[in-house]
Amino acid sequence: MTVRNIEGVAPVAAPLREPMREKLARWVFALPLAFMLLFFALPMALTFVFSVFERTMFWMEPGFTLFSYENFFFSARLENFLSSMYYSGIAVIVCFVLGFPIAVFLRKSVPQVAQHRVVLLFILPFMVSEIIRVFALRPVLQRNGLVNTTLQNLGLIDEPITALLYTHTGVIIGEVMSFLPFIIFSGFLAMEAVPKYIFEVCDDLGAGPVRRFLDVILPLAAPGIFAGCTFIFVNGLGVALLPNILGGAGAVNAGLIATQAIAALDFPLAMAVSAIMMTTLMALLYIGHRLFDLTKILSPIN
Amino acid sequence: MDDYANPWLHRLKWAYLLLVAATLMGPVFYVMYISFNANGFGANQYEFTLEWYGLIFSDQLLMGALGWTLRLAVICTLITVPMALLAAKYYKAARNKVLPVFLFLAPLFVAPDILGSALLVFFKNVNGALRSLGDALGTDALDGLFQLGFGTALIGLIIYTMPYAFVVILITMGRYKPEQTEAARACGANGWRAFWDIEFPQIRAGVFSACSFTMILCFNEYTRTSLLKGGFDTFTTVLISQMLNTGMSEQSYAMSSLVSFVAIALIGGIILYTLVRSDSLAREARAKAEPVMST
Repeated sequence: MTVRNIEGVAPVAAPLREPMREKLARWVFALPLAFMLLFFALPMALTFVFSVFERTMFWMEPGFTLFSYENFFFSARLENFLSSMYYSGIAVIVCFVLGFPIAVFLRKSVPQVAQHRVVLLFILPFMVSEIIRVFALRPVLQRNGLVNTTLQNLGLIDEPITALLYTHTGVIIGEVMSFLPFIIFSGFLAMEAVPKYIFEVCDDLGAGPVRRFLDVILPLAAPGIFAGCTFIFVNGLGVALLPNILGGAGAVNAGLIATQAIAALDFPLAMAVSAIMMTTLMALLYIGHRLFDLTKILSPIN
Repeated sequence: MDDYANPWLHRLKWAYLLLVAATLMGPVFYVMYISFNANGFGANQYEFTLEWYGLIFSDQLLMGALGWTLRLAVICTLITVPMALLAAKYYKAARNKVLPVFLFLAPLFVAPDILGSALLVFFKNVNGALRSLGDALGTDALDGLFQLGFGTALIGLIIYTMPYAFVVILITMGRYKPEQTEAARACGANGWRAFWDIEFPQIRAGVFSACSFTMILCFNEYTRTSLLKGGFDTFTTVLISQMLNTGMSEQSYAMSSLVSFVAIALIGGIILYTLVRSDSLAREARAKAEPVMST
């Protein structure tokens, strides 16, 4: 029943509407979560289901077969996958060695007001299309490219180095050039967990840089370092364009296997590769979360 | 050792930092340099020209692709940034942060080819299921709802850009004190007024940065779009197909450079704006802090 006031307006309706609006607002805030569940988590989870479907001429049909996994694990694909893991691991190490000291330097020695401005320097290459950056490496690394010409002009080499392109080295260079900014960002965020006075305490106690890094920085910044390394490792495994453009005949990664399977209309195989990649990623994230609590990655910006 | 105790070491570290930044941008600048050479890559003689850029603008296929890319980028930005804003607010309020952290950041960790393939097969299966459902219900309204095309490419791009927009907005939100919202609510403002009049002005820079990043990322994206786009072409898909079919032509160098120029100009603009704004804010703060002289 609606209670009316003197002017005949229904004032009781308003307090009734308020909780409804609040409830609606709560749902609105959950919209992005629902979107990501529906269009990201569900398709990724369904790769496991589609991977056991049976292949038809142009598509696939529901069923249960492990043929795609057999096709992956008992062929040269497994060897390619494992070797791409190896080269991706090398790229992670190179990125860490080159990029993490920059993150430490930024936090330790650059005044706080300037820190974010310097980080923006590394956002710039990240914002230029990865495809263009990878293609741009061709004229730089090829036989008569910038690197060889410069080295020859300086008299450092007599013959051009041919191992820089269309080899695994080319792929590693591409991975480092593509993903290095990410280890700087994640390292920069991770170093937020290492207060500046820690460095002074270490200096006062006479701890050397190696001891300081291993015993103090590494444990404190571990979540961010792990996130950065996982990003590089997984993308090194999955970005097909890198071996496609910079690698030679033997350079194949999981992404390339998946896209080749789609081009050959072998959708269950593509889904099996995706499922294997998801399992690898989930295993890495689970281990990382158990060891370092990965929700801490965002704690510096909370 | 303290960097200031050894200034040369400090300078050396700065030099290393700048060298890495320059190396990362080096190949892009080299491509730009080649794009202005009338004789193309590897020529002994360098002759400045804008001819290759002129060819881009007379290419109808490319101009059409540019139109599609712009449409995709604008619509994606209009959807992604408000969603990222909602996601950031949801994350801030959530007690258990594992699920939102996982869902909003995980797309960063899934390689583009893997995500693109998974979405492609998902959409094709959903389409098949909807068609069967439509047949059972006697309607064709559900046919082709998720057919590969603009809509599916858009969904792929939203998933790709969401983590970036989410993190950028979250960083600016970190500086906002929630007590201000509580104060606004205590003064009688409803949730929307408290957000729009109090919170938004303080996080506006982050929201606009997220818009720029989303636009640039959409413009640059290739793998997911090429798998999910269906019948139309975007700027990068035309560029890559030309590069893969005919190799790096002079026009390819010019196209790559043009995309890079736009991205650099946008990010450069943001950097400059940030610098100018922080300087003016610092000046304002200094002026307020100075004691007023009595006459």
